[in-house]
Amino acid sequence: MAHPAQLGFQDAASPVMEELLHFHDHALMIVFLISTLVLYIIVAMVTTKLTNMFILDSQEIEIIWTILPAIILILIALPSLRILYLMDEINNPHLTVKAIGHQWYWSYEYTDYQEIAFDSYMVPTQDLSPGQFRLLEVDHRMVLPTEAPIRVLVTAEDVLHSWAVPALGVKMDAVPGRLNQTAFIASRPGVFYGQCSEICGANHSFMPIVVEAVPLKHFQDWSTLMLEDASL
Amino acid sequence: MSRQDPGQAQGPDPGMDQDTEQKGFRLLGILDVQSVPCARESVLYGAGGGLALGLLHFLSTSRVRRSYDVGFAGFFITTLGSWFYCRLNSAKLRAQERVFKQGVRNKVLYQGTSIDPTTEPTQRSPPSAS
Repeated sequence: MAHPAQLGFQDAASPVMEELLHFHDHALMIVFLISTLVLYIIVAMVTTKLTNMFILDSQEIEIIWTILPAIILILIALPSLRILYLMDEINNPHLTVKAIGHQWYWSYEYTDYQEIAFDSYMVPTQDLSPGQFRLLEVDHRMVLPTEAPIRVLVTAEDVLHSWAVPALGVKMDAVPGRLNQTAFIASRPGVFYGQCSEICGANHSFMPIVVEAVPLKHFQDWSTLMLEDASL
Repeated sequence: MSRQDPGQAQGPDPGMDQDTEQKGFRLLGILDVQSVPCARESVLYGAGGGLALGLLHFLSTSRVRRSYDVGFAGFFITTLGSWFYCRLNSAKLRAQERVFKQGVRNKVLYQGTSIDPTTEPTQRSPPSAS
């Protein structure tokens, strides 16, 4: 999860997020170089003793400051488009989970094999245990297996919501009457936090998302437990 | 198996990453050269290349302002060039690492089976009629 006053991204927990981090580094280096160039030009313009009151145009510099930005934009666009199409690939998901937004909680349904469905409410601040995170913990986490392609179908029951988990590089709007699809692979086990990302009323800030990625064996044990609890 | 819900495991310690984040040095306040791969090497090569080019130009022409311009152009081009070179190499390494990890996973999964990727296919003799 994010630590206090964090500015940068969280560590990647999926291959797509790793690619996004690399692209961000690439774009940031280009931004740094352009900023350095602009700073240098400003200093040079301010400190020069040369003046020309009759300059009308200069073909050479106009060609340079047209071609160079075009090249820079292409250098940024190519990896960006690559990742854009990479994010749209859905490669034979092993599991499909439905995430349904309500006011003001999420509910999850695992219906591939047998029916597992539960609601996920935020743990109120006064009920937190020591070490738990304020406004981020939930009573029932969304448990998923690691190293497996997961498809998440996102929708909403009432108003617009958005299912987002920054560490996994996932954000998908939950629109009533519409099914949106996203997919990811949790590369490593861990607990990944997110928050509703579309204004949805008074408690919009209090309906977090928690994804717990565990090895397949533990996921099987968890789903067995959930089925037993549901049958009781 | 304990009846404890596996969905209630403790999260990571948030204090651990804060010290590392605070120690990062950001050039112009935006580029964290310590945590971004290849950034530190690129900026150092760029600085060295720019300095060398500017100095050479000054020594050969004795023009101060133009030498500054040449030095900065050298910094720009050297940083960009070494950045792309380093990123390309690290992308190739990451691709190889993915292939290697997949290979290790396949070996572990299929070891001892007929589709073990490390065993050579053996020719089976046809069964004799009896």
